[in-house]
Amino acid sequence: MLLLEAHGKKLLADAGLPLPRSEFVRAGEAPHWPAGAAACVVKAQVPVGGRGKAGGILRATPELLAAQVQAVFAARIKGHAPQAVLIEEVVQGSEHYLSLIVDANAGGLRLMYSPQGGVEIEDAFEGGAGSVNLLSAPTPAGLATAAAQLRASVAPENRDALTYVAQRLADCVLDNGLLLAEINPLFIDAQGRPWAGDAKLVVDMNVVPEHAGQRALFEANRDLYPDAWRKISEDFDYVEIDRQGSIGLVTTGAGLSMMLIDELVAHGARPINFCDIRTGQMRGRPDRLVSVLGWLGEIPTLRVVLVNVFAGITDLGEFAHLLLEARRLCPAITVPVVARLVGHNAAQAEALIKAVPCGIEWEPDLERALARAAAIAEGH
Amino acid sequence: MLLDLSHDTAVIVQGISGRMGQTHAKLMQRYGTRIVGGTSSRPPSPDDAFPVFPDCAAAVAATGAQLSLLMVPPLQTLAAVEEAVHAGLRAVVTVGEGVPVLDALRIRALTREAGVTWLGASTPGMCIPGELKVGFLPDVSLAPGRIGVMSKSGTLSYEVGYRLVALGHGQSAWIGVGGDPVKGLRFADLAAGFAAHDRTAALVLVGEVGGTEEEDFAAAWQALHCGKPVFALIAGAQAKEGVTMGHAGALVMGRRGTLQSKQAALRAAGVQVFSSIQSLVRAVDAQVARA
Repeated sequence: MLLLEAHGKKLLADAGLPLPRSEFVRAGEAPHWPAGAAACVVKAQVPVGGRGKAGGILRATPELLAAQVQAVFAARIKGHAPQAVLIEEVVQGSEHYLSLIVDANAGGLRLMYSPQGGVEIEDAFEGGAGSVNLLSAPTPAGLATAAAQLRASVAPENRDALTYVAQRLADCVLDNGLLLAEINPLFIDAQGRPWAGDAKLVVDMNVVPEHAGQRALFEANRDLYPDAWRKISEDFDYVEIDRQGSIGLVTTGAGLSMMLIDELVAHGARPINFCDIRTGQMRGRPDRLVSVLGWLGEIPTLRVVLVNVFAGITDLGEFAHLLLEARRLCPAITVPVVARLVGHNAAQAEALIKAVPCGIEWEPDLERALARAAAIAEGH
Repeated sequence: MLLDLSHDTAVIVQGISGRMGQTHAKLMQRYGTRIVGGTSSRPPSPDDAFPVFPDCAAAVAATGAQLSLLMVPPLQTLAAVEEAVHAGLRAVVTVGEGVPVLDALRIRALTREAGVTWLGASTPGMCIPGELKVGFLPDVSLAPGRIGVMSKSGTLSYEVGYRLVALGHGQSAWIGVGGDPVKGLRFADLAAGFAAHDRTAALVLVGEVGGTEEEDFAAAWQALHCGKPVFALIAGAQAKEGVTMGHAGALVMGRRGTLQSKQAALRAAGVQVFSSIQSLVRAVDAQVARA
């Protein structure tokens, strides 16, 4: 999960990196000019790169700050509507690129530097004049060696700053179990001091439940990370992808759930959500189904719910019981439900669902189930 | 190494006394896998269905086990793999979801240094149909045949396998590499083995957005100049940038890990890439002789 810039910078500051003066403003809050700051920018806090080109970063002035903040909130950046902005002082200095990233192919951490700030990460990987690309073991000793190698490879005037930042990045990645920590641009001012101009930090969601600091960050900002907070608090995956969609998905398995979304969209349908409910962990309780149906029930444009479970081990008879129970516990869900259940004990599931007249349609073929859900969504 | 496994391979289950360990040991044995025992922190009981040992070293000494299936909590996976490697096991399969990535980097280094094959994490396992199954791939999707399957996703590959089996296309081998970003065997590691595998006539690759595994496979496959057809399905066209979709590895960042990058690399390597399950299944059925 990519952290918003402001939260990524908080982790960098905790590791000892200096940050420009800034104010974090949520939607609906009154913006304030950072105390003591000269020139500032307003930056949309969305988990994507390329914000500047998409209208997500504007130059700010104290007189027009409120209007400029509103303009950024009104922007749509790669499908994301900003829920917060960062008003940040502009830093003057030479621009650089520095990152530490898990290299899954090489099996280590890769420390990458470019003397040109603003380059894409792929370009940093491929290298160029003055760039550095070092593979390290994921250990303090390995990263200390990499920082020393970086020091020996860069221009003398930047050595101290870059070595300091590389060491702090190493601490930050190891302490937080990060997949990526990127500072781009990294400013080095006339006094040789480094400043993080931007921050792209990716946390490992497998670490979060056991990491008190990260868990607290997501809990305190659950409105900004609703999908991540659902995963942490409910222990399964539900990602809202289209709040104006019409098809709610109750599915299990990440890959198959992604594929169903792709296929529905390719046919012009609008699925609301990604869902990997993990039927194998339901342990005889309908809670997860009740949660998902509850979230879907909050979407005014919901027209149909598609349930798809390919059960290798899960007893579909038991799952059908839980689905019927969840349906009973969620009277607000009045739309049709199309259930496609295949695998272990599907015959019992079919008998159970067909015996109860509660608006659940049984369809054992996935292609026909997708078509049926799309047709209902279109009003047929 | 995995393509050479058979019903003779001696397999243990680390964590065999847990609810999942007991269930899946029995299911694997029923499939034909030679389960010779397992390890547990609790003492053996007369009710145990399999011999229970205190650790891998004791299990290997008593049974000659070659492969271990780890059914342990994700935060215990690193320690359990260390135990397996030190005991001399030649392959480990870690099915647990939620192994921290920095732990996975350490497992990768540890197993590679010891020459141990690691499949996982976050994998449903593997199967040589008719010989053995290690993990929990559903029997309804499995049948002996000529198609080599490799997949990041469990459920999506179950669906593909299920439909292909219904048409008479079984598998020569099925390797679930798992959906984590850092893992043991990757698609590219399997390319040479499948290319040289006499019982494999064609490959089905079930991928996802995120990472560069499909691109790396494409480069490896192209270099092999193998004439076997490869059919690929990549899930996640609608995945949001910067947001993980279930699998930790399914994370798109900028140009990295995109569907377009994967499609372009695979097609350049001669791989047929599909955007729906049904279109892939139809193409396989049209181009590959049924078993």
